[in-house]
Amino acid sequence: MKKTILFLLSFALTLPVFAAMNHGNMIMDDQGMIMNNNPDKLPKDCKAVSEEVNITIRGGKKFAQDFAGKMFSYDKRNFQVPPCARVNVTFINEDDIRHQFMIHGLPGYMYPKGMFTIELYGKGQKTGSFIVPSRDYTYYIHCEVSQHTEKGMKGQLKVGKGTGDLDSILGLTAPLTPDLYPINNTHYTWLALIFSILVGVVLIRVLSSLLTVKVQ
Amino acid sequence: MHNKLFYYRLIPLVFALIALSVWIQPSFFQRAAGIKLPAGQQPQLSQPLKVEKPCVDLHPEWRAAQVVDGVEIAESRLCEPDNPYNIAAFVLGMNNISMRTLMNSRIAEDALTKSDDLDGDGDPDIIHIKLEVLELNGASPDSLGVFPTYDIAPGIQPGMWAFSPKLRGMSVKNFRSQKANAILRAPSPVIRVEQGDKVYITLENTHYFPHTLHFHGVDHAFKTSTGGDNDGVPVTGEKPVMPGAARTYELQPRHAGTMLYHCHVQTDKHLMMGLNGMFVVEENKPNNWVQTFNVGAGHVRHSSVAIKEKFDREYDLHYQSIDKNLAKTIQQSNDIREISKQMHRVYNMSESSENYFMLNGHSFPYTLRDALVIAKPDEDIKLRVANTQHSHIALHIHGHKATITNYDGVPLNPAAQITRDVYDLSAAQRVDLHLQTTNDGLHSYGEGVWLFHDHVEMGVANDGMSPGGNIALLVYESMLSEQGLPTGLREDALDDVLTNSYYAKQRPLWGKLEAGELAPDYLRILLFGLLVGLTIGLTIFITRGLMRADP
Repeated sequence: MKKTILFLLSFALTLPVFAAMNHGNMIMDDQGMIMNNNPDKLPKDCKAVSEEVNITIRGGKKFAQDFAGKMFSYDKRNFQVPPCARVNVTFINEDDIRHQFMIHGLPGYMYPKGMFTIELYGKGQKTGSFIVPSRDYTYYIHCEVSQHTEKGMKGQLKVGKGTGDLDSILGLTAPLTPDLYPINNTHYTWLALIFSILVGVVLIRVLSSLLTVKVQ
Repeated sequence: MHNKLFYYRLIPLVFALIALSVWIQPSFFQRAAGIKLPAGQQPQLSQPLKVEKPCVDLHPEWRAAQVVDGVEIAESRLCEPDNPYNIAAFVLGMNNISMRTLMNSRIAEDALTKSDDLDGDGDPDIIHIKLEVLELNGASPDSLGVFPTYDIAPGIQPGMWAFSPKLRGMSVKNFRSQKANAILRAPSPVIRVEQGDKVYITLENTHYFPHTLHFHGVDHAFKTSTGGDNDGVPVTGEKPVMPGAARTYELQPRHAGTMLYHCHVQTDKHLMMGLNGMFVVEENKPNNWVQTFNVGAGHVRHSSVAIKEKFDREYDLHYQSIDKNLAKTIQQSNDIREISKQMHRVYNMSESSENYFMLNGHSFPYTLRDALVIAKPDEDIKLRVANTQHSHIALHIHGHKATITNYDGVPLNPAAQITRDVYDLSAAQRVDLHLQTTNDGLHSYGEGVWLFHDHVEMGVANDGMSPGGNIALLVYESMLSEQGLPTGLREDALDDVLTNSYYAKQRPLWGKLEAGELAPDYLRILLFGLLVGLTIGLTIFITRGLMRADP
């Protein structure tokens, strides 16, 4: 019996360092990490999982290519799920660098700091789950590597009807602090302006003569 | 006809229209893009894109080791090697060369005479040197461009001055060219003499401003043997050498080392304009014929006896900078009174900045043509480094640690010599380095194409456009092409910088597009115009009505 225990113990102690370890709420290995994975715990306001939603989201430089002036993004940036849905996220990183799928605003009593995160240290993929509460809300998704959010890696997840759109999501909403770009004015711009002013002046002239005629 | 009340009642309408037009007013010159940012667009170039050849291989025959008039000239594998005939002339003196050598140089026959072996050791000891003052990229009343042109880097032509060995013939390449000929260049040439030589240096002032010569660190008496000015400082000596005049300075240096010379008239400006050069005094040795001028500095193809005893190669590295505002003062007028005012009184050195940084008269990428340090493994190389910028330089050689052997021409006690990888030089300082190419993990990390440059980062850009400035390369022979260019890891490495648009800052980096412009918002423009028109029309209607209305 002792020998068996010792044998099992030594086996447990000599596991490779990089094998998946579960530290509190983190599942970590040498590919990346999933934080606050929750496939089964129901939020207080949900009696049961309403629906199983599978989401595959890809992250990387190439998804920003269609957006001038941006560097990183996700292939999809806008998701909608029903209240109390279980969301199974498969995050695929197509770059050689670190990217994250990080969602904020989940209930803190079951997701410490309100977050669910999948981080990939390089090319690869991981799947994790979280169950959303019942209220309508728009959750913030982004990659928190310095400046990745700002340069395009941002999205949103609406539960139910959501609570409106977040700012500066590529292809969806305008930035809150936008850049200003020069306007490519030609002589047509100024002709249009002068023409419309003249139309205005002439319009008053015509109106006044009509008025005068009527009065007379 | 209405009464006045009718028109008064219309006035609020005018204000309403004004408010409406302010509210609807479109952005005329810039605005936010909304969700979709403007597409990329090709950059606007001021001239069609031209890519230069890295090396215009004009004189491949000058590269080989050769003997001209009995003078041994070392191999120089640079793209632009020094003219061996000039070197023979500078070693022997113009009075001791063949007609062929004379015809292959552009040096005046009285520019350099060497005679009288006073100590009987087999080399001449009385040296007569004549220097001129020349201008590069100055103004011309006959064209909008500058003359004669000298590009320190692609498309960069700052106004500069330099001392030069007395030349003969045209200053340009040929009668069709605006380009300065190869010997008419920055920096002022390195002057080399032997310790104990009696040296007579005549400044023939070919320029339109007064100048002098001052020998910095070179042993010289305060007065000449005839009681004339010998320190070149107008406030303590004679008046400066006026245009068209000449003055001879006398030296008999007792101490060897790397020194300087420069103009001491309005020194702050004239020195920075380029009137400064290296002055090397070589140890007295038998049969020691030294190369009196090293035009353009760089590789010394005929080193002195003492250097050959200890080193495999010798390079003169002269670091200079240019303030573009100072350089401009000679490019905007052809009236010397106006140039003098702009340079000496309007321009303020205490508000100056440095924009261009040169090694041996060129900025990167042109430094690749003539300012490479070429090496083989297991060599001992002498680098004489001088800084005549007004900021300090922190020279760093990739992959190597060299030993500082001399400060300001004075040898250091060998026990106190320091081996390091950044060499500080304040203004006017000199450092002699012993570079060992022994692959031992300390002195060298092995063969390669190793950058060397000032690590004060403004020094590695051309007016802020990087890479530029005094970047040059330490290249091992095994990695050098036939044309003297480094064979790096890719062939297109220099394509961007060797264009006429890169340093004009007109092309985005890494082949990207510029952020584009937005289209005008015609709907709002038309609506705004209409409202403005209505406001004007209504105002006229009210004014006229009020004037005509019944009281």
